[in-house]
Amino acid sequence: MADQQRTGDLGAGISRREFLKGSGISAAATALARAPVEALTQEQTEKAVAGFGPGPVTCRLTVNGTVYTTHIEPRVTLLDALRNYLDITGPKRVCDRGTCGACTVLLNGKPIYSCTMFALEAQGQPIETPENLYREGQLHPVPAAFVQFDAQQCGYCTPGFVMAMKAAFDRDPRPSPGQVEAALAGNICRCGTYQQMRDALRALCQAYQNKPKGG
Amino acid sequence: MPESKWPEKRRIIGTKVPRVDGPAKATGTAKYGSDINRQGMLHAMILRSPYAHARIRKIDTSGVSKVPGVQAIFDIRKEGDEVFYAGDEILGVAADTEEHARDALRAIRIEYEVLDFIVKEEDALANPAKGTVPASKEGNVRPGGERTEGDVAQAFREADAVVEGTYGVPVQTHVCLESHGLVAEWDKDGGLTVWCSTQATDGTAGGLAQYFRIPAARVNCITHYMGGGYGSKFGADVQGNVAAELARKTQKPVKLFLDRDEEHLAVGNRPSAHARVKIAGTKDGKITAFEADIYGTPGIGNAAGVNLLVLPYVYGVPNVKLNNRIVRLNAGAARAMRAPGHPQNCFITESAVDDLCNKLGLDPLKVRLQNLPNNFLKPIYEREIEIAAELSEWSKKWHPPGKGPARGVLKHGIGMALHTWGGAGHGPNDVRITINADGSVLAQCSTQDLGTGERTVLPIVVAEVLGLDVRDITVQIGESRFGRSTGSGGSTTCPSTAPAALNAAAAARDELFKKIAPRLDTTPDKLAIEPGKIVDRSSGKSWTWKQACARLGMDSVQASGNWSPGLSSQGVGGVQVAEVLVDTETGVVRCTRIVAVQDCGMIINKLACESQVAGGVIMGINYALFEERILDRHTGRMVNPDLEFYKLGGILDMPEIVVHMVDMPERGVIGIGEPPTISTAAAIGNAVCNAIGVRVSTTPFTPDKVLAALAQRSA
Repeated sequence: MADQQRTGDLGAGISRREFLKGSGISAAATALARAPVEALTQEQTEKAVAGFGPGPVTCRLTVNGTVYTTHIEPRVTLLDALRNYLDITGPKRVCDRGTCGACTVLLNGKPIYSCTMFALEAQGQPIETPENLYREGQLHPVPAAFVQFDAQQCGYCTPGFVMAMKAAFDRDPRPSPGQVEAALAGNICRCGTYQQMRDALRALCQAYQNKPKGG
Repeated sequence: MPESKWPEKRRIIGTKVPRVDGPAKATGTAKYGSDINRQGMLHAMILRSPYAHARIRKIDTSGVSKVPGVQAIFDIRKEGDEVFYAGDEILGVAADTEEHARDALRAIRIEYEVLDFIVKEEDALANPAKGTVPASKEGNVRPGGERTEGDVAQAFREADAVVEGTYGVPVQTHVCLESHGLVAEWDKDGGLTVWCSTQATDGTAGGLAQYFRIPAARVNCITHYMGGGYGSKFGADVQGNVAAELARKTQKPVKLFLDRDEEHLAVGNRPSAHARVKIAGTKDGKITAFEADIYGTPGIGNAAGVNLLVLPYVYGVPNVKLNNRIVRLNAGAARAMRAPGHPQNCFITESAVDDLCNKLGLDPLKVRLQNLPNNFLKPIYEREIEIAAELSEWSKKWHPPGKGPARGVLKHGIGMALHTWGGAGHGPNDVRITINADGSVLAQCSTQDLGTGERTVLPIVVAEVLGLDVRDITVQIGESRFGRSTGSGGSTTCPSTAPAALNAAAAARDELFKKIAPRLDTTPDKLAIEPGKIVDRSSGKSWTWKQACARLGMDSVQASGNWSPGLSSQGVGGVQVAEVLVDTETGVVRCTRIVAVQDCGMIINKLACESQVAGGVIMGINYALFEERILDRHTGRMVNPDLEFYKLGGILDMPEIVVHMVDMPERGVIGIGEPPTISTAAAIGNAVCNAIGVRVSTTPFTPDKVLAALAQRSA
């Protein structure tokens, strides 16, 4: 158990989006340098390596406020753990390599490509999936705007866009339309609903501007 | 008899109605086929050939026994068989987890005899006798048809201007975001249920019944939601049959959805088209002759990219000579893709028309007006060109090629293109309606929603007829057991199912009147529907919908309707104007604005209609600027079977898109899915030429090609 907890710590904060900011190797090195590798004794390191797989290990994920325990091989991505092991299928698998954004979830409130993170790395951190924005018949303003302005057709990319847009409004409660658009640049829609997304995000920016501070 | 007339006064039809399934889709609670997880379900994958052409010498699956969790293998090909493209199917494997299925594929050893292959059109044309694809004893290049009208030779001699050019579009893949595939589950009695990503539930169920030789009544194909098809998802396909075979073998549910690379390789694409064109005209802008020598590739498929019957595209040209060749390659077979044949036809024709205009020194808008076809579309085009000219400020913004305003190295260009499509409704498409004594209404049909908003079409029409609101209608679609449907191809879904819904609703209303009239002390002919209520026209008495339905007591109303003639029609036009900024230093083309003017007869849901048009435009922008399947001559493989190097534009790449719908309710319903994607690439191509004064002859208009064209101009 302790070993798995450590894995979670090692992986904290490494998201595909951050990873992509630099060249692969340097970004990975940076991320690793931030982890408390030096603090591990040789013995602990060996134990840690021996502890993971290749067979299934216990994985605890906190999704939309609920703690799920499952048994997965360490190679399983967060996306596949959600979809194949926890039946949380709002995040979609489209490119499976961190390009299209259909698998976007919020990890610690930050949007990440869940196809490009191991599930074990996401342990111990709150994960929010699109399903969380529609609870007990209550629709969050972001997906509500997608519906109102028809910013979806087949809908397969939409949950990813919705999460990326929600993250933009979470980060800055009064963003400009340009800032929100930029926050969607890591997502791809094939049916071509960008024009309607612009209508939706402009209306949302307006609504958020008019909100009292702290609201 | 149900009435076969649209209501003259329409409360809901033609207004903007948000999708009824919008909240579920936007929050990921809608369950697509690929989201289905069944108890004890296995995961399956397909082993594919890494070679563009090979004979399978030996299949050794012994290594699989060391992989945990593998439950079954199904041979698609046997030893001695040939495979014809990199990605061709060899066998399927089912395991307890996706990870183990992947391991199993790695553990299988295939011995290949690698054979000669051709993956480039120019290589096949240079060796026309060499056959490397199925049934190619005569070589890979086949005649693809000819068409002659009038006398082009004489017309070229008499013309004021003759222009020659080459124009081409490469292979584009569908890139459905939900991959092809299904979940298959057999019940104990030999019945099969599949959750399939398809644009034809009825056809897919029928195909599976035939394949497995079981009664059609025992197969249910469920497609409650599907993540894009664009013409590529009309059946269970190899992967669907394999999943069902593995499910039968193991007696467990099996899920098989393809990976992204398989999507690019194996399940369809839009064929390329390259044309050498000679076009002629008079000095006042009448096009007199069009000659084209064309080739294109359908991969190992058989159908060519262009449609000779509508080439030259849109315009009436008296003298025509066409010759087409089909260049078959060791690559995945082409399939229908959003307006098959038309974007290629449009690009070839509209590029040549603009080059002729440029040579004659004429405004391309005026030349287009002079060459419109002599049929019912002529006045529609005239109206649409006028609207497009106004919305795009054409007369202010158009300038002779290369002579426009520039901001430093950024050159402005504007271009126009026209398109047409059929649409049309047909049967059999059943809509079934149940009215219950509590007033609740259920509408069902087997048609699936590709993303066009089909789930909202039904309640709009039914609510209109029954005097209710859209939210009062419960809708169930996308299960083959709900009746017959013809599949979503050719932009025919809305024009087929909206009339069926009208007929079903009218039949349900009449049946309701028949059942409740005696209990309301009146006769059915005196009853009528008004919003929210039922009225007796002779006595003036009225009952709310619920009060009236309550008179059904223990009974309910069941009615159904099919498509019938007179409620739909076919044939649409469309005009698009594109503006671009071309960076003459980097070669980057940025599309800054598109005006799309489109008719589609009677509009059912204006909100979804406008979405379709904007979406079609965006697919056209991708075709113009980004998309290309690239095959490697040396390895025979696709080098970009992904979404990093097979480029699709994101929101920041997209221009402002102005959509104008021309509502023509008197024509009945016509489809809208395909037409708006046709002319975008051609309009952008003409805008690029207008910006830099030289033609970039093939899409995508990538910086290398733009810079090469500019260099050629300077030289």
